[in-house]
Amino acid sequence: MHVDPKRELTKSKGGRTGLVLLLIMVLIAIFAPLIAPIDPLEQTVNSFQPPSWEHPLGTNHAGQDIWSQLVYGARTSLLVGLLVALFSTILAALIGTSSALIGGVYDRVVMRIVDAFIIIPLIILLILLSVYISPNLSTGAVIGIEIVIAFVLASMSIYMIKRLGWLGMVIIGLMVVLLVISQNLLTGTGGVIIILSLLCWQGGARTLRSQTLSLKERPHIEAALGFGASKWYIIRRHIIPDLGTLLTADFIFCVRRAVFLQAGLAFLGIGNPNIVSWGSMISDARQWIFLDVWLWWLIPAGVALSLTIVAITLIGSALEPALDPRLRGELSAQNFELQS
Amino acid sequence: MLTRKNLITYLIALAIILTLNFFLPRMMPGDPLMAIYGDEALVQMSPELRAELIQRFDLDKSLGQQFITYWINLFRGDLGYSYSFNAPVLEVIFAHLPYTLLLGGLGLIFSTMFGILLGIESGWRRDGKFDKGMLPGMVGLSGFPDFFLGILLLLLFAVNLRILPLFGAENAYSGLTGFDRIIDCLKHLILPLIALILARLTGGYLLTRNTMISVLKEPYMLLARAKGLEPHTVKYKHAGRNSMLPVLTSTGIWMGFMISGVLFIEVIFAYPGVGLLTYNALTFRDYPVLQGMLLISALCVLVINFIIDLLYPRLDPRVSYAR
Repeated sequence: MHVDPKRELTKSKGGRTGLVLLLIMVLIAIFAPLIAPIDPLEQTVNSFQPPSWEHPLGTNHAGQDIWSQLVYGARTSLLVGLLVALFSTILAALIGTSSALIGGVYDRVVMRIVDAFIIIPLIILLILLSVYISPNLSTGAVIGIEIVIAFVLASMSIYMIKRLGWLGMVIIGLMVVLLVISQNLLTGTGGVIIILSLLCWQGGARTLRSQTLSLKERPHIEAALGFGASKWYIIRRHIIPDLGTLLTADFIFCVRRAVFLQAGLAFLGIGNPNIVSWGSMISDARQWIFLDVWLWWLIPAGVALSLTIVAITLIGSALEPALDPRLRGELSAQNFELQS
Repeated sequence: MLTRKNLITYLIALAIILTLNFFLPRMMPGDPLMAIYGDEALVQMSPELRAELIQRFDLDKSLGQQFITYWINLFRGDLGYSYSFNAPVLEVIFAHLPYTLLLGGLGLIFSTMFGILLGIESGWRRDGKFDKGMLPGMVGLSGFPDFFLGILLLLLFAVNLRILPLFGAENAYSGLTGFDRIIDCLKHLILPLIALILARLTGGYLLTRNTMISVLKEPYMLLARAKGLEPHTVKYKHAGRNSMLPVLTSTGIWMGFMISGVLFIEVIFAYPGVGLLTYNALTFRDYPVLQGMLLISALCVLVINFIIDLLYPRLDPRVSYAR
């Protein structure tokens, strides 16, 4: 009955490819200073240099090293993806399960609000909000976020290591390292992270609610009740493990949407201009499309972004059977449209 | 099905957007006129225009009075005044809307069509040669953000091969008329359209393929084959036709999101629809246009969903029995 996410992931070819690709991206982000020794934001007078030993991908219009920007861009994308997914999955879980377990008027009111949020066109709302809300966070807010992250990671790690063993340990370890080294980006990306998390939870809340509802009615739970199992035992042994896989899948699609939306917003010029990001690289390079620079400026940034999203998609689709075991071997369509 | 539940949802969505539109600028510190129009616009504004805007939106009155005036103006169709276009917001949006409808509508039709066709072929022989090549290809394609796909097309066809125009919806001041003008418009349309189709293909394809696979297991498929029908007839008339419904529903839902869905592609190709308008309003800090766009795009979603609710029982009579 309970789907094992580790087996689903390592068994399928797509899942393995996705994991390896994403791992490479994470390692690049972590070891960025070693791979690209030049500061990505350092401006020089040598603009539009072609690729050379010193600048493997040349320099951009401001004389900044493009290779460094490409490498450090991985940090921004992965940090925003990870944090938005963490926050919005928690929101979704809280709202979805509480709605299913409490029921009644609370359930009806909450679900109408969730549906209303599904209808609102996200990207236009994001643009409007970004005009009024500053992309930077105050130091207090950053510390607040860090406390929340530490708490969430700590509780997640207990569960992940128990369920996934060594894989869980590796994942948690990489997340912690990534968060620690990208700490300095939090001030500049915090606004985008908060807005995106507040707007990405609704789909997950819906699926988690219906899953909890149907779990409550499943025969194996009735059977366990018949054998005299306590309510707490059932929540611990049956409901949480089953929701766990769904939460993982929801988390992964949140990462994907957040990476895409962050790049999209940066492409539109929303957010802190001093944050290196693949989206803003594409947007800057687009201004110089008639020079040869697109070959080593625009294409690498776009390919890096697309590879990251493809990797996350592959991992997500390998986990699809966890969402609906009847789908084993199939891919459901709804998660493949990059929602904008 | 149109239910009371759905109607309440639509009203809540509308209330959220109107509240945001009203309170966001007014919550900012300082003069509401400045928050609504931005300081750059305010500096260039003539005192007469400023006085007229204050009077029209009751900006010197209490918040309650402003709220009432806001609603009265909404019902009159007055969404405010766009400073960068020197025209009422609603007029500006309606001037750009036809381009979005043309691009988005054609993109919707073609991507759904191709998605259904490829999905039928893929699902008919699951794990066959075609399916095995198509499935990973489609999943890979879905990882490419639409704006990057658009730029790649632009680089290939407009910058390097120079066979298609770079931007816009038609050549300005070319003086083309009649048939030549239509050809010119089509030439400008083709690249954004291809980008949109590619970006939207995967969803429809996977949905059709899945339904196809489950439809093929139905008893009536066995009957159709047992009757000795041509494989071609079985494939398209029996299986294909029945696999279309979920895709049509998802297409219908996407129709509502057309405005936000084509935004990036319009920006890349400088195609003068409402997506480009939103982007320009963002760069010029033309806040009333942004607010109007949020309202209009949400209204589009609501109206389309409303129509789908009404039409759906006709498309799939099962839903009206299954209450």
